[in-house]
Amino acid sequence: MGARVPDSPESPGREIQEEELRRFAARVSALLQGPEPGPEAVDGLQRLHLTVAATKYPRKLDGKFVELLQTVLCLPKSPEQIQVLCAAILREMSPCNDLILLSCDEIQDTKLLSLVSSVLLAQGEMAAVGQCVVKVLERRLPEGQSARFLLPVLANVISLSPESLTEGKSIGRAEIATCKKMADWLRYASIQQGMAQPSGGFFSSPRTKQPAPITEVDGAVATDFFTVLSVAQHYTQDQWLNVQTFSMLRNWLLCYGEGALELDECVTSLVSTTATAGRLLPPGERLRDKAFEYCQRLIEQSNRRPLKKEDGDLQKACLIEAVTIMDIICKQDSSYVCRAVSFLKVLHSRICGDATYARALLPIAQFFLNHSKLAAVDSDAIYKHLLTDIPAQLFHNPSLAFEFVQFCKDNSQLLTDSSSIFRQSFPNLFKFLAWNSPPLISEFVDLLPFLLDPGTTIEIFHLLLDLPCLTAALDIQAAALPASEKAGGDPAGKPATCLEAFRHPLYKSMFQYLLRTKSAPQDAPESLVPLRQLLGSLAGSPRVVQCAESVPVLLELFFRVVAEFADESLINQLVVLLLQRSDQLYEIPAFKEDVVLGSQLAMLCRLRPALVVELSTEILEFSGAVSNIQSKEAIFTHMVWAIGEYLSVSYDKRCTVEQITRFFETLEAVLFEITQLRPQASTPSCAPRAISVLMATLTKLAARSQDLIPRVSMFLSKMRTFVQSPAVTSVYCEEDLEEILIRATELMNLLKMPSVAQFVFTPPVASTQFQRDVNDSLPLALRMVTQLLEPAPGSMPV
Amino acid sequence: MPPHSWDPPFLGMLGLAGPQDTVPPTEGSLSLDEVGSLNTRVPLFSSRQVASQCQLLQSSLGRPSSPQLPQLPDEPLSLQDAPGGLFQMPPGDPFPERVTVVWLSVLALAFALVCEPQENLSLAEITLRRLAPRLLLSLRLLGPGADVLLRPDAADGLLDRLLPHGQMLFLNEHFLQAMDRELGIKASR
Repeated sequence: MGARVPDSPESPGREIQEEELRRFAARVSALLQGPEPGPEAVDGLQRLHLTVAATKYPRKLDGKFVELLQTVLCLPKSPEQIQVLCAAILREMSPCNDLILLSCDEIQDTKLLSLVSSVLLAQGEMAAVGQCVVKVLERRLPEGQSARFLLPVLANVISLSPESLTEGKSIGRAEIATCKKMADWLRYASIQQGMAQPSGGFFSSPRTKQPAPITEVDGAVATDFFTVLSVAQHYTQDQWLNVQTFSMLRNWLLCYGEGALELDECVTSLVSTTATAGRLLPPGERLRDKAFEYCQRLIEQSNRRPLKKEDGDLQKACLIEAVTIMDIICKQDSSYVCRAVSFLKVLHSRICGDATYARALLPIAQFFLNHSKLAAVDSDAIYKHLLTDIPAQLFHNPSLAFEFVQFCKDNSQLLTDSSSIFRQSFPNLFKFLAWNSPPLISEFVDLLPFLLDPGTTIEIFHLLLDLPCLTAALDIQAAALPASEKAGGDPAGKPATCLEAFRHPLYKSMFQYLLRTKSAPQDAPESLVPLRQLLGSLAGSPRVVQCAESVPVLLELFFRVVAEFADESLINQLVVLLLQRSDQLYEIPAFKEDVVLGSQLAMLCRLRPALVVELSTEILEFSGAVSNIQSKEAIFTHMVWAIGEYLSVSYDKRCTVEQITRFFETLEAVLFEITQLRPQASTPSCAPRAISVLMATLTKLAARSQDLIPRVSMFLSKMRTFVQSPAVTSVYCEEDLEEILIRATELMNLLKMPSVAQFVFTPPVASTQFQRDVNDSLPLALRMVTQLLEPAPGSMPV
Repeated sequence: MPPHSWDPPFLGMLGLAGPQDTVPPTEGSLSLDEVGSLNTRVPLFSSRQVASQCQLLQSSLGRPSSPQLPQLPDEPLSLQDAPGGLFQMPPGDPFPERVTVVWLSVLALAFALVCEPQENLSLAEITLRRLAPRLLLSLRLLGPGADVLLRPDAADGLLDRLLPHGQMLFLNEHFLQAMDRELGIKASR
């Protein structure tokens, strides 16, 4: 169990043993205890840190050495770099029982206190740190010390463990004091710029200038109190505190805002009510009041055009934060709602046309979702704009896409209401996924169940299968400039490029349907096949391929969810669609294989076996077409299997002998065609599995209508010739042919004992567990029967 | 249960620094050993995720997925076009709660910021775009040699200012400049 230390930047680390580590630590210890720990000590500490950080196993540094690190850390005269390194090593070792010496009491220097706190927090000492920091903040700090370094510690403590501040005796008082100060820092920071540190020296001129006022981001002189969007060349300490306070405000309100009422009650019991005249709000309420004001000011400030471009990004982040905080305040105190509503409505109309502010529309919409009922305000226009325009225009913005989908997830109950505009906009939502598949696929896995109900199932089914087409269409839409209307090309002829096709009368409506912003099942065009073919040229584009990779998992989920609520009619609809669409897929190489529709078909048939009888027309048409074996092999095989399984009177009383015979004859014809001894050029070569399944299904049907047995037996007996014919052996491999022959023989043998065959192939419906495994138990049954009929030599029963 | 603090410089090498620099304690669920192993597992897990998201984005944009060899830039790095993104990790492995990862890729390196669900993601992106060039500069991350691993103090110093105790700060450009002055670096933009 050694530790690794790199010899040099180039060579890889070598194992070092405990002994070596101890010696090294001892050397560093000596350096640290020397008069002036210098670069050597720094270097040693750096190496030690890497050693401790890089070992997987519990790192064992000598207890005395650990003590020394703690001492050096807390020593005011230690160089800062050394202190930082000591803290880093101690943190790396945490949690550790040796760190008992460390405590944040008695530390005067706020920067050091922050550093020591980082180690203590790693030890889990949240309460101790929290209370210490609050105590320090409560009192007046010594000259030169700034509270600026302590607020982040406080923020960390409350986000980790909010209750840690309320432990102990100083319950309430700590929060009260901090609340008060925070409100002051927010609202009353200096509106003059700070002074530069005097450079000193012989040639420096005395500072006689008056401090300049702060400015806004657009250069204008500040019109009101200081905020994070205020500009100065140098900042004062309280201005830094203003920034820190706002940065942690959201968390603070979330943690303590609810309890503010208790806090205020606590205060009124502590403080004399005749203390001051005028409006003196209890601390919690006062903080909320100042916070609200601050947010309003930020929102106004975000209207200015910044001189530095990067400040524009911050303006938007501030806007989002301000709206969110307003939302929190309104949740905690509904008296703010009215003011907020009118304010935010104005804000919304200001930014709704500006694409760069799109992300801010989300917290605004969330606010109205939370509070518009209370305010009796109609916010439908806001939701409509958000759900209709934004995804259509800005689907390509990955950050917006992510946050938009999160917004939907956070408000998922709205998606389940079929009349709501949220629900109706799902085609728009999928545009985010179509364009940004990798980061959003897991989000949509969470979202999809909320979108599915009997009314949307079919439309979403098509949408999922066509999702990669949507990606391609979005690409073309983005490329198609709105100005050039004439890009439609010659309407009479065919469009030369996808871009031309976008406005071409032949394709226009198909594009428009694919790119629709609202659910519209009734507007579905007859077929999107021409469009899919046209978009074939984009099938290799990376985004399309990535989107295609995300479809199978969604389809899987789709069927799992739908299976839970689908009624008979819906299941039937889906089966018919599965048969139709299994070869109407976008021509992306792996897509057709990955989209596994066959097993879904089997699942639906298992759910509702009677559909085989109800949809006999469609199924007969499908399974009778020999071409389907090649183009839709997987689904064909599953369909034929399902026929064999479920076409039986035990599943549906309406299953007549005529029906069984009709299916039999259809499948017999297909099998006949694909097992010709001299295959013609038009005969498709098909997977051996298809042949096997056809044989098995015919056998099963014959077992139920025993007049058919002679026909099957004769057919099966011809399989030997088929398998041995030269034309066939060149097409199929030996193992496959062997397998076909074995299967044919087993089936034949089974038919020699019709009552057994009937039992095996038509178990009572009640024992569905057995029936479900028939496909697995079939070979076993067949083998058993085969052994009975053709015993191996020497094993004849006596 | 005591949480574990993530040593920012170590995580920075693997591309991870978090606003929550301690794992939130869950009552009675993690032993000292488990917390310790969580520290090493977490950054590795996240960096794999980030790397794959980065590659996927690059390939969707038609760029080569294998990054170019890093060259020391003559002029300041512009991060405006640097690929980046957001994704979510579900609760469980490796973080106890659901987290959102904000990531940014610069040449052969990726930086990731792990956020709690309710945090301001716009600010996270801004923070990351500010951290990255400063870390690159201070730690000479694009230069040869592994001595970046031997300079946790340099990374700590930066993180201590721009992301103190994991707290993201709403700093406008002038505040940022003031901070750079305090740190004594001439920030290249």
